[in-house]
Amino acid sequence: MDGNAELLVAPSAVPEASAAEVLRAPGVWRQSWYRFRRSRAGMLGLAIVSLVVLVAFTCSFIAPFDPNDQSAMMRGASRAAPSMLNWFGTDRMGYDVFSRVVHGAPTALAVGIGAMVIASFIGVIIGGIAGYVGGLLDEIMMRCTELFMVVPVFVIILAVVRLFGITVVGTPLERIPNLNLMTIILLLGLFEWPSIARMTRAEFLRLKHADFVEAAICVGATRRDILLRHILPNALPPLIVLVALGIGGAILAEAMVSFLGFGDPKAVSWGQLLYFNYESLKVAPWASLAPGIAIFVTVLGFNLLADGLTDAFNPRLRQ
Amino acid sequence: MGSLRYIARRLTFSLCLILGVSVILFALINAIGNPIEILLAERPGITDEMIAAVSKYYGLDGSLTDRYFTWLWAILHLDFGTSIIFNQPVGELLKVWGLETLKIQIPSILLSVLVATAASVVAATRQGTKVDFGVISGAMLGHSLPGFFIGILLILVFSYWLGVLPSYGAYSTRSMLWNSVIADGVWHMVLPVMMLTMFNTATLTLLMRSSLVDTLRQDFIMAARASGLPERRVVLGHALRNAFIPVLTYLGALFGLMLGTAPVTETVFTWPGLGALYISAIQQLDYPIIMGVTMVITVMLVTATLLTDIAYVALDPRIRLA
Repeated sequence: MDGNAELLVAPSAVPEASAAEVLRAPGVWRQSWYRFRRSRAGMLGLAIVSLVVLVAFTCSFIAPFDPNDQSAMMRGASRAAPSMLNWFGTDRMGYDVFSRVVHGAPTALAVGIGAMVIASFIGVIIGGIAGYVGGLLDEIMMRCTELFMVVPVFVIILAVVRLFGITVVGTPLERIPNLNLMTIILLLGLFEWPSIARMTRAEFLRLKHADFVEAAICVGATRRDILLRHILPNALPPLIVLVALGIGGAILAEAMVSFLGFGDPKAVSWGQLLYFNYESLKVAPWASLAPGIAIFVTVLGFNLLADGLTDAFNPRLRQ
Repeated sequence: MGSLRYIARRLTFSLCLILGVSVILFALINAIGNPIEILLAERPGITDEMIAAVSKYYGLDGSLTDRYFTWLWAILHLDFGTSIIFNQPVGELLKVWGLETLKIQIPSILLSVLVATAASVVAATRQGTKVDFGVISGAMLGHSLPGFFIGILLILVFSYWLGVLPSYGAYSTRSMLWNSVIADGVWHMVLPVMMLTMFNTATLTLLMRSSLVDTLRQDFIMAARASGLPERRVVLGHALRNAFIPVLTYLGALFGLMLGTAPVTETVFTWPGLGALYISAIQQLDYPIIMGVTMVITVMLVTATLLTDIAYVALDPRIRLA
């Protein structure tokens, strides 16, 4: 637990590894990184996630065709099997499947990260206040959290996206690009926070009376400093695991919403591709398999990453 | 009588939860707009009076709070209203289509508990070996496979390539298999049940294996071994029972979410269940069905949570009733 003291001294000096720092005891974050490197699942997950991020940023360079290029249909080459020209074949509308799958990566990451940013923001504030203040406020907030945990999120998203998509026609909101996708991200974020709030509360309760926090109070640290500089950084490890899992979960949820036909018709997302191509599964299986595998690999990557992070942050869990 | 009071308190809280969710549901779906207005807006020759008349017929006139209490009062009497599209009582529709969903969900949950128990016993008793690694890797892969993608793969392999199982529907429309309704029904159930089982088993195995590994390390297992019990009885009799306790939460969620995941399963296999009913209701803006299905799913979820809590108290004497 001397790692906490290290973090207290220099929370910002963690990422750099200059020669002067070598003599110092490694901080929690660097210790965790040492342990993370030994976790085979975690490293594999990190590799997959890095690959997806790389593809997302370079998608317009990697993709041989424009995602909206239907020229194959003009050549009579829609539903063509994978070839040198179209690596994953073409679908029923003449789109190049490989290009569209590659262009689905930024959408997936935007959904996953966007939803979890919203969820973490709400979750940390609610959980933090509940854990730190305690008492009746804690009781009320935790009952609200339990309420949000039993809301059937997925089925509600379907209904809300559909109804909202109709009522919005003719209003200024219509001009927001990819409005349907934004709605899905917002709803996923608004309903995914309870697990983060519960974890934050538990961590704040645990750390509230930790020795280093008492010490900080003794030297006269302000409450803002105690919350943001002493308690929050130490509460982060389990939250990071939850966020990694949540990103995978949000990507999967968006894929399912789109697969059911309630996604954003203007966005290129993997679920959307599945929805368009599922009916031609028998004649052009590649057009459904490619986006399906993309979802699977990405979600697997985030799950493995979370697995590795759990090992890294809780060395006692697995000997 | 601590446990009875505990159960009574959980029960009251569960009712409050259902009430709370019903407010959220009602607000979310109604705040967006009058469904009747949305439904009729696209049709030509509709006047405001006609919209008002239809709204009144479906109980959608008046202020939001009035409507909420009218709707709640009806729901409490198990009156879910009349479907706009089917023109039938929603309660009846929920029963008929819901049974079709249970037909594939219940067998798959039971099967996955069996398979996951077997797999986790095999893995946990051979901890650290290749068998264990294989079970964990397989479960991790299955855990990340989206359910609908498993379904697509199964259809490709068993329906299109091998051509042995039907890819859609609950019954054959033309000739029944072996001219028997039961055989034909079971034949159609195989793929959906297989998909759900594979999906549930993976996560269940991951949880049960780690729980069993933890349990096998505890003192009472050493005591059981020291007393000379055969390893089989130590694992199957003593360890497994205790290993089940942490898994209960997930099992409860599986039962609770049974109907919540139905839309995806039933779209993949064109299964005529509650999920398919819900999807078509959303597409056609059949407001009473949307509210009915979401309420039924919520009640299932809350009931499952309540039963899980009670089961914990019943199974684990170590839990203090706080």
